[in-house]
Amino acid sequence: MKNIDLNTTKIKSGFKVPDDYFEKFEARILEKIPTQETKVVSLFHRKQLWISSIAAILLLAIAIPSYFNSIKTTNTLDSSNIENYLSYQSNFTNFDIIENLTEKDIKELESLLAVNSDDVEAYLLNTQNLDYYLNE
Amino acid sequence: MQDDKDLIELLLNSKTQNEGFKNLVQLYQKPLYYHIRNIVLNHDDTDDVLQNTFIKVFTNISKFKGESKLYSWIYRIATNESLTFLQQKAKKTGISNEEVQQRELMNLESDVYFEGNEIELKLQKAIATLPEKQQLVFKMKYYEEMKYEDMSEILKTSVGALKSSYHIAVKKIEEILKSN
Repeated sequence: MKNIDLNTTKIKSGFKVPDDYFEKFEARILEKIPTQETKVVSLFHRKQLWISSIAAILLLAIAIPSYFNSIKTTNTLDSSNIENYLSYQSNFTNFDIIENLTEKDIKELESLLAVNSDDVEAYLLNTQNLDYYLNE
Repeated sequence: MQDDKDLIELLLNSKTQNEGFKNLVQLYQKPLYYHIRNIVLNHDDTDDVLQNTFIKVFTNISKFKGESKLYSWIYRIATNESLTFLQQKAKKTGISNEEVQQRELMNLESDVYFEGNEIELKLQKAIATLPEKQQLVFKMKYYEEMKYEDMSEILKTSVGALKSSYHIAVKKIEEILKSN
């Protein structure tokens, strides 16, 4: 074969492509790129954030006033609350109550109970360990 | 360079991403196709590698730092994708890279998408006898008529080294063509 000078001779690669290859390639590759996916995800997150912030604000708007209302109602003490409190305090005995009774309290109790001699007699007769009290 | 900047801006903005990608494909699909085809030889394989290249460019555009031209960066991705593709093909079939290339050259003769006659085929066979790097340099310079400066950015090799590599390749190929 004769000498070939590649610097002056142009030999082609010989490659060719199917008809319309590049036109079709453009459409095919545009379908494959993952743009839509990322957009949807970011929009969804933004929406979710909005919904949860609105929910949180509504919850606080309802919870705060009702919390303050509940404090107001429990501030006032009635006698049944005190009674319950005292009955559940195990280290608070009858003796403690007697110790703290004033003269006025005793007078009031006497008039309230209105003990008469007949009642005392009946009580004593019915009580089993009468001897014990007589010996005292 | 100004065109590069505009194109990158389009690609980074989610609203103009599609338009940017369309421009990118229109601009690069033809030259990249022939660049890849020169390496992998077969049309169907070229189609696969070209798609992978564009998808890689698209997903990694935010990592492009602008140290080199967009053109060189894209060509570097295409070159790496082509060489990796050949390695994987060799691995799958259990033969060497050279044997894969020889097989593809044999198939060229009956390939409907190869219109070369005797001399074109002889040149392809002569190139295949060169080391991989010399083949790349020869194809990019001789077939694609690329500038040494651009090749230097793509292949990360000095212009001087590329010139001598091309010179050696030309001499070897001329020898082979003469002896046949």
